[in-house]
Amino acid sequence: MDFKFDIIWGYLPLFWKGTLYTILISLSGVALGSILGLFVGFGKMSRRWYLRWPMQSYINFFRGTPLLVQIYMVHFGLMPLILGKTNSIAAAITALSLNAAAYTAEIYRAGIQSIDKGQTEAAHSLGMTHFQTMRFIILPQAIRRMIPAFGNEFIVLVKDSSLTALITAPEIMYWAGVMKGQYIRIWEPYLTAAFIYFILTYSLSKLLNWIERKA
Amino acid sequence: MTSPIIEIKGLSKAFGSNVVLKKIDATVSSQEVVVVIGPSGSGKSTFLRCINLLEAPTGGEIIIEGQSLMDKKTSITGIRADVGMVFQQFNLFPHLTVLDNITLAPIQIRKLPVAKAREKALELLKKVGLSDKANMYPPSLSGGQQQRVAIARALAMEPKIMLFDEPTSALDPEMVGEVLAVMKQLAKEGMTMVVVTHEMGFAREVGDRVIFMESGYIVEQGSPAQLFENPQQERTKSFLSKVL
Repeated sequence: MDFKFDIIWGYLPLFWKGTLYTILISLSGVALGSILGLFVGFGKMSRRWYLRWPMQSYINFFRGTPLLVQIYMVHFGLMPLILGKTNSIAAAITALSLNAAAYTAEIYRAGIQSIDKGQTEAAHSLGMTHFQTMRFIILPQAIRRMIPAFGNEFIVLVKDSSLTALITAPEIMYWAGVMKGQYIRIWEPYLTAAFIYFILTYSLSKLLNWIERKA
Repeated sequence: MTSPIIEIKGLSKAFGSNVVLKKIDATVSSQEVVVVIGPSGSGKSTFLRCINLLEAPTGGEIIIEGQSLMDKKTSITGIRADVGMVFQQFNLFPHLTVLDNITLAPIQIRKLPVAKAREKALELLKKVGLSDKANMYPPSLSGGQQQRVAIARALAMEPKIMLFDEPTSALDPEMVGEVLAVMKQLAKEGMTMVVVTHEMGFAREVGDRVIFMESGYIVEQGSPAQLFENPQQERTKSFLSKVL
């Protein structure tokens, strides 16, 4: 099998650009998703049914339908509705954020509910409000337990961001597809893409291990 | 004895259809040490936990220093800040040092300056005999040490009342004494205390009054001498015969 390094070399600047977009899309996705997920998660834990019920439905919907379907709906439906036109990068970030929110909501809930009830009782018995109890007692302990799950979600998101090539977000897989079209070759573009994704996720998991040990 | 600091009138508590407290009336005077005894499932812990509203009563009234806890205008967090509680399982905050466990609430709630709070915390640690543990984390301490830190943490808020929920039940036998000694000292200093315990020796020696509870009722109460030497009720006699 002949493997043409020179065509990879030629596409490197585009792959580099694509890598930056992959990082931008997945990082924004996990950041915005975590913020949104905080509301979804607390909504789901609420005692008020009118908060709990919609948030539970939100989680069910985004976990129960394929990400690709969500990406298409955001790209072809939601974005034109909001922006008046399509925008692949905005759509990619929006879709991944909405999806990540459903998963991070469950990470928040599991982390918070894993803290012993005695901690809340002790905080309350000292006169702390619900907010102070969360801020000083529950969250500092819960976040430590959430780190591995968050890391996992981030890695999944980096890989899943490849789906946004289908709406022409100019990330790694998009350029791999362009390269394949130009040279009609399979291994060079896709092995390059795989290699870059692997470097990204592998360094990410190393970084997360380090954070976990520090925390 | 002065006027009552805690007044409880017709206090009821049910968990679903399970009625745990059945119209309980009780008062606690300032500086009084009231010990609550009774078989497990008698409702004595629930009774204690209602006093600072860790459990919401389903009926009746609790009045602390003239303020009704059922009144919507009463600040629950304000009442809780004035009522210290010590738990069976200690419930120290494992992510904070012993010192931070003690200073957190005074700094956040009483708005005490950090230096002042630390100074007071160290004083309290000295009082419970743990001056050298200030910078340790709770999980590295023994049960008896953790419970003494928990007492110091509650005292740091300068509470007017201290509630103890079976404070020695989770301890190894050799550590029970060190915790009881701290409680005895507190009683001697005039702290108002309500203590749920199985330590009959403590009840007899330190208690001003002993309440015997069973199946959600206060069956009998009186001075330790009356209750232990000359119980009036059959159920009290039967319980005491098993534990003494």
